[in-house]
Amino acid sequence: MSIPPRLRSNEVLLVDADYRTSRRLADLLGDDGFQVQVLCDGASAISRLARSPLPGALITELAMPLADGETIARYARSRDPAIQIVVLTRHPHLLKPESIQNPAPVVLTKPLDYARLLEVLREARQNR
Amino acid sequence: MPTETRFQELKRYVRLDAHDCELLRAFGKQAAPQLPRIADQFYDRIREHEDAHAVLNGEEQIKRLQRSLVAWLTRVCGGTYDEAYHEQTSVIGRVHVRIGLPQRYMLTAMALIRVELLSIADGLLGDEALPTREALVRILDLELAIMLEAYQDSYVARIEQAARQERTDLGTALAKAEHRYVSAVELAGVIIVGLDAQGRIQLFNREAERVTGYARDEVFGRSFVEVLGLEDPTDSLERRLSEVLSGIVTSQVLAGSLRTRPGKLRDIVWNLNAGGELAADSVVALATGRDVTDEKIREDRARQNERLASIGTLAAGLAHEIRNPLNGAQLHVSFLERAIKRKSNEDDMLEATRVVGDEIKRLANLVTEFLDFARPKPPDLKPTSLVKAMEHACGLVEASAKTAGVKLACDLPSSDVEFPADAAKLTQVLLNLLNNAVEAAGATGGGTVVLRGRRGPRQVFIDVEDDGPGLPSADAPIFDAFYSTKEGGTGLGLAITHRIVTDHRGTIDVSSRPGKTSFHVALPLEQSAGV
Repeated sequence: MSIPPRLRSNEVLLVDADYRTSRRLADLLGDDGFQVQVLCDGASAISRLARSPLPGALITELAMPLADGETIARYARSRDPAIQIVVLTRHPHLLKPESIQNPAPVVLTKPLDYARLLEVLREARQNR
Repeated sequence: MPTETRFQELKRYVRLDAHDCELLRAFGKQAAPQLPRIADQFYDRIREHEDAHAVLNGEEQIKRLQRSLVAWLTRVCGGTYDEAYHEQTSVIGRVHVRIGLPQRYMLTAMALIRVELLSIADGLLGDEALPTREALVRILDLELAIMLEAYQDSYVARIEQAARQERTDLGTALAKAEHRYVSAVELAGVIIVGLDAQGRIQLFNREAERVTGYARDEVFGRSFVEVLGLEDPTDSLERRLSEVLSGIVTSQVLAGSLRTRPGKLRDIVWNLNAGGELAADSVVALATGRDVTDEKIREDRARQNERLASIGTLAAGLAHEIRNPLNGAQLHVSFLERAIKRKSNEDDMLEATRVVGDEIKRLANLVTEFLDFARPKPPDLKPTSLVKAMEHACGLVEASAKTAGVKLACDLPSSDVEFPADAAKLTQVLLNLLNNAVEAAGATGGGTVVLRGRRGPRQVFIDVEDDGPGLPSADAPIFDAFYSTKEGGTGLGLAITHRIVTDHRGTIDVSSRPGKTSFHVALPLEQSAGV
């Protein structure tokens, strides 16, 4: 697959209604060399994803104000199939397996295993 | 004519001669290693048969019976057939009669054993098996004859007893009683026992025979309380019974239990009524009883399920929401840990953040387990091999058993059986039970854990036994959510286990005393239609 120039592999978009915690996660990821943008609702996430260049990875909760995580993830996929999607959620059972496919997203259950997230993001960045 | 003992006469009749004895002795020596196998297969067959299975009481008894079967087989192929031999076989016959083994089962069992022994003879001797086969047939016929005599003795005794009874008042009273009353009593679906003033049984209806396993002529004239091993929780049974018998009160209701002929306990609700008009008869009181054992078990299970369902819906939503603050706490702790490392690297501060992190992880595990329990997926039933499931589970527990110094024994059925199960969930059940058992056995320092699988008539039975200290009390609500006796336990392991077993339409129960705790799981061999 050709590498789309409009995708910034080092950038991560983090969408979760819990801003305080998201900021802390952004700090940690920033420390580990990623550039993180934090958003708190579905609508602003979608408007961010409407603009290029796109982030290399999207981390999203499922239940959120204005648009749910599944919608955000599907929109991101439609913009660029190469975006690494991580669903970070307190209710993993809400995610229907058929909703996001090819490839299926990585699903992490809260509370987050930070080391595992870092591993996923680093691998995705390397494969780009 | 020289006097001949009964046994000598029998031997002459089946033509068992000295040469046969030699052949049998030689055969016995060669066949000895194969005899325990016959005993294993024999009792596996019995487990599959409902009525026969009902006479048995647990694995220990079966082990004992297997040993005596091997001893008997060894004796039959021993080559020495004297009066002592005859007496030993007669004793066995009388035991069969005493425990109420129907003749037809004794006969079919002998046929089974005959087939096995003859096939061993063929295997060992090939073309030269014929004389040994004949000797085997003779000695087995002899055995059969002796055992049948025991039945005959008992039959004669019963006829005599019945004849004696005919002569008593009851016999004549019954004869005079109207036929329809007799049928009403006979056909009623409740236990009806008529008592005389001394509390002796004078009437015993068909339902009473069915529930207790006693034939009426065995119990006539015997004490109601003694013969049925009646007990009630308050120990006031005999006093209250005598109040009715002496007519001080006209009726009593009491809940108690009785012991059946094969030795099982049944819960019975008794209505004791003074005879009134019957008083002219020797029957002064009637005890009517209803067997509520199964009802009680069903009620208990239904209550348990209701309780679980309400906990589920109420708390599942809450559990999800707990994950959010946990996530926040976890990330902030990770952040703190990193900051401390960077600035001061003080060990005790790092230790503190690690402890907080571990506690958060524990809470997270609790939430996950709880949700497994409260929002279970229906089991995905596929034909599953009992042997494979058992071996898989044992393999997974082996390491932790070794660490705890516990001996783990996997007692497989003599032949494999497939039944519908969700393999992953079945593994979870076995793991939960085995891990608990290993912990319990390890507590006393190096005990033993046994995983046993057997096939029953309509179910497979899986037992997990340990020789640990046992449950704190018989009524401990161990299958309830959040009941835990373990430091750091979530209290959900057995609740989940219970849930999975009932989702499979199976049952789980436990018996426990210090030194032996065993969990019994029964899962159906076939899922009924409409599941």
